[in-house]
Amino acid sequence: MGIAIVIILVVLALIILLSIGWLVGIFNRLVRLRNRFQNAFAQIEVQLKRRHDLIPNLVETAKGYMRHERETLEAVISARNQAVGGLEQAAKDPGNAAAMQGLMGAEGALSGALGRLFAVMEAYPDLKANQNMMQLSEELTSTENKVAFSRQAFNDAVTAYNTYKQSFPAIIFAGMFGHAQDATLLEFEDREAIQEPPKVSFS
Amino acid sequence: MAMDFFESQDAARRNTGRLVILFVLAVIAIMIAIYLLVALLFGVGGGYAEIEGSRRAALLLDWRLMAAVGAITLAVVGLGSLYKMAQLRAGGGFVAESLGGALIHPETTDPVERRVLNVVEEMAIASGTPCPPVYMLGDEKGINAFAAGFSPEDACIGVTRGCAEQLSRDQLQGVIAHEFSHILNGDMRLNIRLIGILNGILVVGIIGYFILRSSFYAGGASRRSGKRDGAGAILLLGAGLAVIGFVGTFFGNWIKAAVSRQREFLADASAVQFTRNPSGIAGALKRIGGYAPGAKVESPNAPEASHMFFGRAITSGLNSIFATHPPLPVRIERLEPSWDGEFITTGPAPEPEAAKAPGAPRAHEARAAAIAGLVGAAAAERPAPPRVSAVKQIGRPTQEHIDHAARLIQRIPAQVANAARESYGARAVVYGLLINREPAPRRVQTDRLDEHADRGVCRLTAELLPALENLSRELRLPLVDLALPALRNLSPPQYAVFKQNVQALVDADGKIDLFEWALQRIILRHLEPQFSRVKPPVTHYYALRRLGRQCSALLSTLAYVGHRDRAAAQRAFSLAISRLAVRSASMLPPEACTMQALDEALHDLNRTTPRLKKQILTACAACVSADREVTVDEAELFRALCDGLSCPMPPLLPGQPLG
Repeated sequence: MGIAIVIILVVLALIILLSIGWLVGIFNRLVRLRNRFQNAFAQIEVQLKRRHDLIPNLVETAKGYMRHERETLEAVISARNQAVGGLEQAAKDPGNAAAMQGLMGAEGALSGALGRLFAVMEAYPDLKANQNMMQLSEELTSTENKVAFSRQAFNDAVTAYNTYKQSFPAIIFAGMFGHAQDATLLEFEDREAIQEPPKVSFS
Repeated sequence: MAMDFFESQDAARRNTGRLVILFVLAVIAIMIAIYLLVALLFGVGGGYAEIEGSRRAALLLDWRLMAAVGAITLAVVGLGSLYKMAQLRAGGGFVAESLGGALIHPETTDPVERRVLNVVEEMAIASGTPCPPVYMLGDEKGINAFAAGFSPEDACIGVTRGCAEQLSRDQLQGVIAHEFSHILNGDMRLNIRLIGILNGILVVGIIGYFILRSSFYAGGASRRSGKRDGAGAILLLGAGLAVIGFVGTFFGNWIKAAVSRQREFLADASAVQFTRNPSGIAGALKRIGGYAPGAKVESPNAPEASHMFFGRAITSGLNSIFATHPPLPVRIERLEPSWDGEFITTGPAPEPEAAKAPGAPRAHEARAAAIAGLVGAAAAERPAPPRVSAVKQIGRPTQEHIDHAARLIQRIPAQVANAARESYGARAVVYGLLINREPAPRRVQTDRLDEHADRGVCRLTAELLPALENLSRELRLPLVDLALPALRNLSPPQYAVFKQNVQALVDADGKIDLFEWALQRIILRHLEPQFSRVKPPVTHYYALRRLGRQCSALLSTLAYVGHRDRAAAQRAFSLAISRLAVRSASMLPPEACTMQALDEALHDLNRTTPRLKKQILTACAACVSADREVTVDEAELFRALCDGLSCPMPPLLPGQPLG
């Protein structure tokens, strides 16, 4: 009789142990997937920062030629400053819906302002021929390609996280383990402007 | 005294084997202890007290009870161990992240992070391993670092913020060399087994604790209802199990700490051997001693990983037996016998780290002569070209290799090196390396890229192409090593496209040349585990006898690559094969030496013991150097073979013999 109780108890303990292990597995997997998309965001951050750093130089170069376009230039600068703030917010909590919306809005506005700048620039052949300007817009183009690319990697990671989180059995425990919110994909409003980088036709 | 790479890999394997034996003994002891406990409690205490002595003794040897207790104990301990090991096998990155690390982006512009990455890059190329990903523990002020992962392929390095900021470049190099030696010595495999075993024993204690608690409550209830004979015994059983488990864990921790301390001394010594600069690593230890936060790591997961760190990450009351690391003064004195006992209390003067051009000859070049006496004869013959053979230096890079690696990195055009360090450009670099010079296959390749690769990457490939085509050939594989960390950051769908494109580029001209084969092999070997589950190779062969076919394929290919004339190739082959104890080996005809055959041969040969690998590589070296001439093709193939056998080979130094 005593032995039977012991065996039952030990089997019970074993089952509990296994289920704890199983839960730990789910917990770890959630953490790992979240870390992965947060790391992927760091990659976007590097590229967006580079883009933001390029813009003041670009504006500085354009200033000398475009005396009558102060508003366009100022719009670019203020959109850039907005975007810097949006990026800071987003970097604190990648995947957070509000932060991502803010970043998307700010980056969209920046792309729009840049698009207008490049459109206006068409009227200034000297500026387009400027060596410095050519280099800057080339670098901007390649940076935007990189942004698009790392955004794709980020969105892949976010999708993997959300999919796992919403599938059985993780869906039961995700909330309990602090993964209540789905992570938000990063889609830039003005996608055309990013994927088709500002047409720099002076090459 | 200094073991070579193969010996220390073998030793790590043997030590692991010894630990397994110890573990089996420990489990048997635990089984006996538990059986005695159960038999005494339920045999003697549980209502059988009236049974006379001889029957009681017979009960103590009840085989059914013994079998049941044994099986259950085994299951519990085994499951506990396997679970933990499976978790740790998930890869170094997982361990790093659970300690609060964030990946340092390969393209970072932060000067502190850049410096860490540069030091790791140099060390990786110097030792012939691909750059491991580096994690920064951004919130940790203490000076510490660790290496994690199951094998060199999935290893990663972590450094604390304090380590990156408070150490000078030489000190940092010493620390990174220490961590690399953990990777190269196979310490991580040992560590994972240790943690797993401990966890299994710990589980026994946890179950005991659980029974103790639950029967305590149940006991309270049954006391009220008046029946208490079984409950008392179960309470005692729980207490007994808890004691057995915790005593087991106590001794386990003791063994773990003892093993760990030995490995730390070994890694310190290896770090000096790599960098030829004892003042670097000794300086780092002195800085820890003179720095208020010391080597402490605050992360709640630190105790479990304490033995992976460079310095003592946690402090416990029972310092001397449970310390995973020897005390700082002891470690420093082993490195610098003339140490005056002074710690370093101030951080380094800010050293400007050129973002792209690491590794100009540094101060320790000049210091080398002064320390020659300390590190033995090898350093004394420094100005002369190295005489040590390449096979002997596998897994044992030296300061020459680190400087050579820094020079190699410097010779890669900045545009190409920068592209290789970020995942966007790294793909373009690899594509560009595969683009054929002949117009016809080249057109096939560019069409393929236009159609399937990202447009920006195509353009970048075209931009990099002139630089890549002018790149001297010995820089090509180091460039691939440099690109690997960035390629690890691809998302799985992006990697799938990349892999298909690489395959298409390789297939474009209908034949595979050696470089294409080596490149594709290195990429797949190091990236595939990142994106899909790949089983680590299990040692399968303990003698070469049955591997005649595989050895023939390997050596025949090598012989044809290095010798134009068939007779010379035959001579090289015979010379090499005579060094191996194989049965039924004969030179294959050239048409049988396909890359596929080579792949299959390597797959089998990688499943041999380190000692056999050394013999195989020595034979390969003999084959290559039979004509006293090592061509770049041969060197690249040899390097790829070493990589295929999981033996990291440092880059060949000018004038260095192979075998």
